[in-house]
Amino acid sequence: MSYVDIVEKVSVPKPDRFYTPPQFAEIQGIPIAYRRAGNGEPVLFIHGAGYTRRWLPLYQMLSEHCDFIAPEIPGFGETPAPKWFRNFDDLSILLDEFLNRLGVDRVHLIGYSMGGWAAAEFATFYPRRLKSLALLTPIGLRLPGNPGVDLFQLSVPDLLNRLFNDKVVQQEFTPNPDDFEEGVHLYSEFSAAARLIWAPRYNLALEHRLLRVTCPTLVVRAEDDHLVPNEMAEKFAEVLPGCRLEKIAETGHELCLERPAPLAKVLNAFIAEAAR
Amino acid sequence: MNKLRFYFFHLMPYPHIPPAEQIESSWVTLSNKYYDPQRGHTLYKEYLNQLVAAERFGFDGTCINEHHANFYGTMPSPNIIASNVIARTEHIPVGVIGNAIPLHGNPVRVAEEIAMLDVISGGRMICGFVRGIGCEYFNNGVVPADSVERFEEAHDLIIKAWTKPGPFTFQGDHFYIPNVNPVPLPLQQPHPPIWIPGQGSLETLQFVARHHYTYMMVYSPRWFCKLAADGLREECKRLGYEAPKSMFNACIPTYVAETDAQAHKEAKGHLSWIFNTGLKIPDQLFFPPGYMTTKSFRNFTTQLIKGKVKAQHKLSYEELVKEGYIIVGSPETVKNQLGEYCEQLGAGGVINAGSAYGPMPDWMVMKNMQIFAEEVMPAFREADGKPDYLRQARPAPLTSTEFSALVRGPEEMPRARVDGREGLVDLRYAHVDANA
Repeated sequence: MSYVDIVEKVSVPKPDRFYTPPQFAEIQGIPIAYRRAGNGEPVLFIHGAGYTRRWLPLYQMLSEHCDFIAPEIPGFGETPAPKWFRNFDDLSILLDEFLNRLGVDRVHLIGYSMGGWAAAEFATFYPRRLKSLALLTPIGLRLPGNPGVDLFQLSVPDLLNRLFNDKVVQQEFTPNPDDFEEGVHLYSEFSAAARLIWAPRYNLALEHRLLRVTCPTLVVRAEDDHLVPNEMAEKFAEVLPGCRLEKIAETGHELCLERPAPLAKVLNAFIAEAAR
Repeated sequence: MNKLRFYFFHLMPYPHIPPAEQIESSWVTLSNKYYDPQRGHTLYKEYLNQLVAAERFGFDGTCINEHHANFYGTMPSPNIIASNVIARTEHIPVGVIGNAIPLHGNPVRVAEEIAMLDVISGGRMICGFVRGIGCEYFNNGVVPADSVERFEEAHDLIIKAWTKPGPFTFQGDHFYIPNVNPVPLPLQQPHPPIWIPGQGSLETLQFVARHHYTYMMVYSPRWFCKLAADGLREECKRLGYEAPKSMFNACIPTYVAETDAQAHKEAKGHLSWIFNTGLKIPDQLFFPPGYMTTKSFRNFTTQLIKGKVKAQHKLSYEELVKEGYIIVGSPETVKNQLGEYCEQLGAGGVINAGSAYGPMPDWMVMKNMQIFAEEVMPAFREADGKPDYLRQARPAPLTSTEFSALVRGPEEMPRARVDGREGLVDLRYAHVDANA
């Protein structure tokens, strides 16, 4: 008998813009969907709680300088979640196995928003696996007295208004409210996010565990984040040993979509330097 | 047996809040600064009197439920209310419909409290289990995505705690209890009747069918209630049995007055308040992510789109009447409509008929109760007009004399060694001389 459920591939709606079919690697019974392109230093990118199933402009810009690997974590995009998949511990082990399967030893790890929390967790478990760590508007630390807004309590328009400072980009990335299948899919992705981060909205252990991370580290904050307090990125930069803090001008929380070019420039430079 | 059972139901709202158009929600985000405990004291007294009055009016039961951090229903701990009601009544069944079992750390606590209430009340408890509505998950640390699993596991734990001799170890995915051994146990054997309120989801219907429980609808349009009722019967059939009528209870606010016009005039504002203000809940608070499985979310949303159902807080009074959310009218009208409604649904009971609604003043609630009890309920009763429970044997003797007169099996008497006496002494007689 096996204690691991084998989960079937799922059919999900395909966004009009930027959709590309993923590759799959079966890890621990889960068909992990991922996209991979480019040559050079291996870079593992962990997405936030949305805008999955796409080869985003940022990914393209990064892949022009590295071997860019973007998996979709269980419950997101085309990667199904088994019943046992519950927390960042499960995710860290899964990603470790994923890298083994791809034959990638040490990587540059980038995590955005909730994926930033995931990346930080991975880094505390497998610090020797990292060539560098970059967290983009991450969440996951406690800011005493400053919990910020609860994203799960926001209506879709309110959430989008807080995610984006650039209203033109926001318009481009606003899901069609009449797209029933996309609506259902987003509910299921949000459910997967809720399983990971509903409560507590932080991991206190990160504050001491992150001291294990000795590779070059970078935190990128928004110019003005209206979803997560700006102090969050700053606190990550304080906690991470020897960390650099960068700010991307004219961005809110969704800096990956709002200003991919300047962000890619910062990340490419950081990776190049760390690879030396 | 009577044709229909009628259960008085109270939500215990706190209606002294700004009007619907001035608030985003009466749940989760509306500040508790609007709660004035002085006012609350008066309201609780009125509400408790109404619940108690259900007995003398002749209702088949008097019911309450659990909600948190809102102004629609101010009973975060319904068992406390039940305790008050059973102390002030003698015969009427009291329903807690129900305790929100996934929300609490240790479900054994619910098993203990319901058992206490059942023993104290002489076996009058009806025990409901709910997941709590979506909003409830914003007021504690329970992950809404765990709600269904925690519900089923907490249910299994509570039923086992009541039916399997303790102590035993419960090894759940969500709950680990080294020694489950509640004292007391419920008086009704093997346990109080279980009611499961639901919004028509297939998972809940299957759960009820599997366990032979009673399903009760929550406020819904008539076509949706019918769908759920038919769904339940179908699920029972699939399991090889015919669902008795008593397995399905309708839930429909019903206001009755001297004439149709008078009834509408009196009830309109209060019934509308329940839906438009009391249930003013934005979607994202109603359905937190994971509260529904993706499959249920898809089915539910499809039904809503197909049925062109409006959010409850946007329903006009005319729509409430037309869609069959409520029944209002003269005794004749209410009798006919209620009879026809329950006939169509195949319901064995009605919850919330002849009850209290929103900001309705005490006198108006009492008026509704009285006219409903005297001019509507008899039409659905046997010739003696009694509720069924008064024709059935009481689960526990009413008096000490009855208790002593009944022949029971062997029982441990309190014994211990007492200074100056030999052997184990029956402590009930320890004060009497050994030689006497």
